[in-house]
Amino acid sequence: MTAFVEYLLTGVSRGLVFALLAMGFVLIYRVTRVVNFAQGAFAIFGGFITYSLLKAGVPHGLSELLAVAASALIGLVFGIIAIGGEIPLLASLVITIGLSILSEAIVMLIWGTTPISYSGLAGHDFVIFGAFIQRQYLIVIIASLVVFIALVYGFGRTYFGKAMSACASNPYAARLSGINVKKMGLIAFTLGGALGGLAGVLITPLSPITYSADISLAITGFAAAIVGGLISPGLAVVGGLVFGIAEQFVAGYWSPSNETAVALALLIVLLLWQARRVPVGGLE
Amino acid sequence: MSSRLNRRMTTFAVVAAGLITLALPLLLSSTNIEIYVTIGLYTIVVAGLSLLMGFAGQVSLGQAAFYGIGSYTAAIMSLHGWSPLVALVAAPIATAFLAFLIGIPLLRLKGHALAFGTLAVQLIFLAVIPQAASWTGGSIGLSAIPSLRIGPLAISSGRDYAYLVWVVVVATLFIARNITRSRPGRGLRAMAASVSGASATGVEVERYKLKDFTLSAAFAGIAGGIYVFFIGYISPDAFPVVLSIEFVIMVVVGGIGTVAGALVGAALITVISQVLISLGTGPSLPAQLPTVLSLGVYAVILILILRLLPSGLVGAFNRLLKKGQPAPTVPHFVGGSVLEVRSAKDTEEPNELTLVDEV
Repeated sequence: MTAFVEYLLTGVSRGLVFALLAMGFVLIYRVTRVVNFAQGAFAIFGGFITYSLLKAGVPHGLSELLAVAASALIGLVFGIIAIGGEIPLLASLVITIGLSILSEAIVMLIWGTTPISYSGLAGHDFVIFGAFIQRQYLIVIIASLVVFIALVYGFGRTYFGKAMSACASNPYAARLSGINVKKMGLIAFTLGGALGGLAGVLITPLSPITYSADISLAITGFAAAIVGGLISPGLAVVGGLVFGIAEQFVAGYWSPSNETAVALALLIVLLLWQARRVPVGGLE
Repeated sequence: MSSRLNRRMTTFAVVAAGLITLALPLLLSSTNIEIYVTIGLYTIVVAGLSLLMGFAGQVSLGQAAFYGIGSYTAAIMSLHGWSPLVALVAAPIATAFLAFLIGIPLLRLKGHALAFGTLAVQLIFLAVIPQAASWTGGSIGLSAIPSLRIGPLAISSGRDYAYLVWVVVVATLFIARNITRSRPGRGLRAMAASVSGASATGVEVERYKLKDFTLSAAFAGIAGGIYVFFIGYISPDAFPVVLSIEFVIMVVVGGIGTVAGALVGAALITVISQVLISLGTGPSLPAQLPTVLSLGVYAVILILILRLLPSGLVGAFNRLLKKGQPAPTVPHFVGGSVLEVRSAKDTEEPNELTLVDEV
């Protein structure tokens, strides 16, 4: 029972991090139709920038916020490079692959190849049903829930959010009613950058990251987003949780070395299931 | 420029290229022969990937895995008593069969699910090979792979492999060229422009896409098979994710969907990567410098080409050659025109790349 609770809680918090990445995929895909391969790179930047700020003596909280803001800015720059001007979709996708390896090169140049980590906010570990839970896990859960609620509110209630949804469901009608679709695409990239950056900021204290961790983060985030057919934010969160929990249970009850293989096999199964169901990427 | 002169120039270029190809193995040093063989192997892989990107409009990030599967098939079979020639023939067959099985579901998905699906295949490949140590030699790999023998002909020196590889290069480029000009090729081209339009005129979109994907994997498989006999040992380190990305870069640099582009892209990027490695390696230089340099330069090349020369070097060259002439319709220009068609169409017509609500 103790082990079960521990795996479940760590799984949920890691799953929420994947869900943040998945939300980035969904947001950018809905508005621009680009599957942003560089989504994992935002997380790497978020983690490494927080690490440097903390090392430079910037207090907790501020470091994390600055790192998320920097990731948002990187998201905007990536957006301009990938979708600025007239450019076909296939080219945009391949450009995001280029941006992903460019990020790896930059991170390696600045921070080197050694894995980094930092301690989360100080505080006592919690004991739930006899299981020791690091405080960082609860912080992850709370922070991501706050972000999800803010996103749901932002998209459902504000003019801006509605404009963004309009771009997603019918770009031409949106353009006709005076919405600048290109600008919305860039905003989506900026928000995607912030979401990815937050994911990195939250996960680095739990498991050290390296310059090349972006690919595995991106593919898990993508897998979670696929659960919702790349367009449903709610199902993407469910997908993130499924992956996070499955990963922890496989690692805990079976073997940690099977973790990646199982996650990827799960992705393939999901893709098969989606292929039978609805066309991925079509809006309802 | 008249089309006759043009044709004569093309013939001249092909003959000149052929002669240079034949003469080079005699002139090169053994290090350079290795690079020469590598260029040939990558050209084969890139020719397949270029067909996939230019015609099915899909990106595969698993070509290095297919290359690896071809290598492991050939290595394992020849170490278990099969004749190396049989093992070499089996390499593309096994790879193509696997791609066929993966392709059936993945190609039914819209959007760019194939990119991530094949990336997953690549990562699974890299995770499984070290685990299945009894067959694959784990992360250490397999060595003492027998050298290739075709009948009485022993292929052992670097020069022999250079000739073998380039025979296969010519064969694959010939197949690729014929496909771009055949009925399925025209169908695929129509498909890249508009899936619904193509299927309305009787193009069996799904089947063509699947064939395209399977063929691209077979190309990677045969290249991998030759590679393992040439090198003589094999380990999972030889097939990193970044190699798959390199293949995509080679396609883009040469020109998506162009046959000559495969050769140009593979040669250019292979040479650039050699130059970067020698630039970045030195006693006083940090160990990660070659990786930083190559990743950075690849990324910049990829982004600049896509932003400035979307039809690649071959496309740009063709356009330069045909300046002032009516819009080109020759198949080897297809990459460029397909990309342009897409950019023009994606505001008004539902197709594979624009993914408007319902097709």
